[in-house]
Amino acid sequence: MPQQQIKDSMSAKSGTSPKGGLEQLGSAVVNTVSNIGRFARFQADSLVASAAACFKPATYPLIWNQMLAIGVRSVPVVMITGAFVGMVLAIQAYDQLAGLGVEEHLGVLINLSVVKELGPVLAAIMLAGRVGGALTAELGTMNVTEQILAVRSMGTDPIKYLVAPRLIACLFLTPFLIIYADVLGIIGGYLIGVPYLGINSKAYWSLSAAGVELWDVAVGIAKGFFYGAAIAGVSCYKGFHCKEGAQGVGQACTEGFVGSFIFILALDFILVVIFKAIYLTIWPLKLLL
Amino acid sequence: MQKEIKPDDGIIVLKNLTKRFRKLVVLNDISLSFEKGKTTVIIGPSGCGKTVLIKHIIVLLRPGLGEVYFHDQRIDDLPESKLGKIRAQMGFLFQSGALFDSMTVSENIAFPIRQHQETQDQKKLDEIVKSKLSLVGLDGYQDYFPAKLSGGQKKRVALARAIALNPEVILYDEPTTGLDPIRADVINELILKLRKELGITSIVVTHDMNSAYKIADRIIMLHNGKVLLDGNADTFTNSTLPVVQQFIKGETSEKDLQSLQVSFEDIRTDEGKKK
Repeated sequence: MPQQQIKDSMSAKSGTSPKGGLEQLGSAVVNTVSNIGRFARFQADSLVASAAACFKPATYPLIWNQMLAIGVRSVPVVMITGAFVGMVLAIQAYDQLAGLGVEEHLGVLINLSVVKELGPVLAAIMLAGRVGGALTAELGTMNVTEQILAVRSMGTDPIKYLVAPRLIACLFLTPFLIIYADVLGIIGGYLIGVPYLGINSKAYWSLSAAGVELWDVAVGIAKGFFYGAAIAGVSCYKGFHCKEGAQGVGQACTEGFVGSFIFILALDFILVVIFKAIYLTIWPLKLLL
Repeated sequence: MQKEIKPDDGIIVLKNLTKRFRKLVVLNDISLSFEKGKTTVIIGPSGCGKTVLIKHIIVLLRPGLGEVYFHDQRIDDLPESKLGKIRAQMGFLFQSGALFDSMTVSENIAFPIRQHQETQDQKKLDEIVKSKLSLVGLDGYQDYFPAKLSGGQKKRVALARAIALNPEVILYDEPTTGLDPIRADVINELILKLRKELGITSIVVTHDMNSAYKIADRIIMLHNGKVLLDGNADTFTNSTLPVVQQFIKGETSEKDLQSLQVSFEDIRTDEGKKK
């Protein structure tokens, strides 16, 4: 076949020869290290640019636009996520608690799980899909059509112009979106627990109030800052470094979502450990009581 | 052929520029100086490193070895934060236009002005946009989105954006490729007009020889990462180098003809087998 011949002659020209094991290992190590370095530098530059953008009124309109796209338009999906989490938890946990005869404690279980863990993490994962995917696709398309290069060619730093507003919007609005997820999770759990499963309303709320501390709510919301930063950081990085063509953009979106997802879960683990340590330092005896 | 070059030899000076992408050497020890107010055309077959060369002038790419000077100042080693002001003195016309597709024509042209001059006054901006668009013959298209424009219109809007900051130097990456002959000539006239009326230094990358002959004060041919020939239109027409003659006349080489012949014979034998 002629195509085959062309391919053969092309590979012969570019001099691709089978690499030795050591060479492959070496180039893999070099690639990994340089990717990590590039990622770290990108994040450092983005954070510096974002901090600077906060004090520059000229960038405020860009930030408002991103806040509308990233924050306001995500409210419905985040609310739906929260509501279903609360409702499903109520159905799943009721039987076990009823078996032990402590079904009034359902409120504590649902509300504590929602505000501490499930609300923040699931809302963040929803955002990684909705917001992160859009960010990577938008910046990736701009990258392959040379629009990012055009920004640079006109003497503007694309990180300042494109990344900073998106990072700021994600950073500040993810905690607020988590509040929406929490509230809807609590309402969802209540609607299934009290009117549907027939738990005493007073017992449900008073046990919840006793079991859920302000600290738990605050920790859940505080996680939002980190998740927001992770989503924007990973998605923008993937968009800026995507390979050419439609396939390149698609691949970058996949990698961006998977990357943010893993970052969120890993960050969650680290944050839980840190917040627990802080809690124990402030109130050393509270957990024992 | 290359003599020792000094940073003050021209408005832009490239000294021993070498660039490689992995193992592929794209530019190999190139030294060139570009004179102020002149139009230099860089020609050469596709993939010979023309675009890579002009991207080095505005430091969108950084050289592996060698130096780039603008107004006697070395710029290739400057950090991104300091390059903003340098780049504002140059305009770059991308081959694809690279217009921001989420912005209107007017916002595209106002973008560099908003970024560099603190003019946020909408009335003033509208006036500048109008004058730049009239220059490229597209006044009235302010509210169009790039997706609604034809290829030639996109290029002209991109040119209007490139000259928005009244740059000293404009770098054109294949400005006439993909345009019909009349539109291509409009672009040629624009380049001539910018040189004549505003004294702009232009560096044009192209493989359109008609355009090159029309606009060039000087033509440089790149081949295999080196400068093959440097002179004016006559130097090229009188050159006895086969590669040059082949390129300017647009002729296929014997080798390419032979491989074409082989491919056709393959198709014929394949079809014969099927029958």
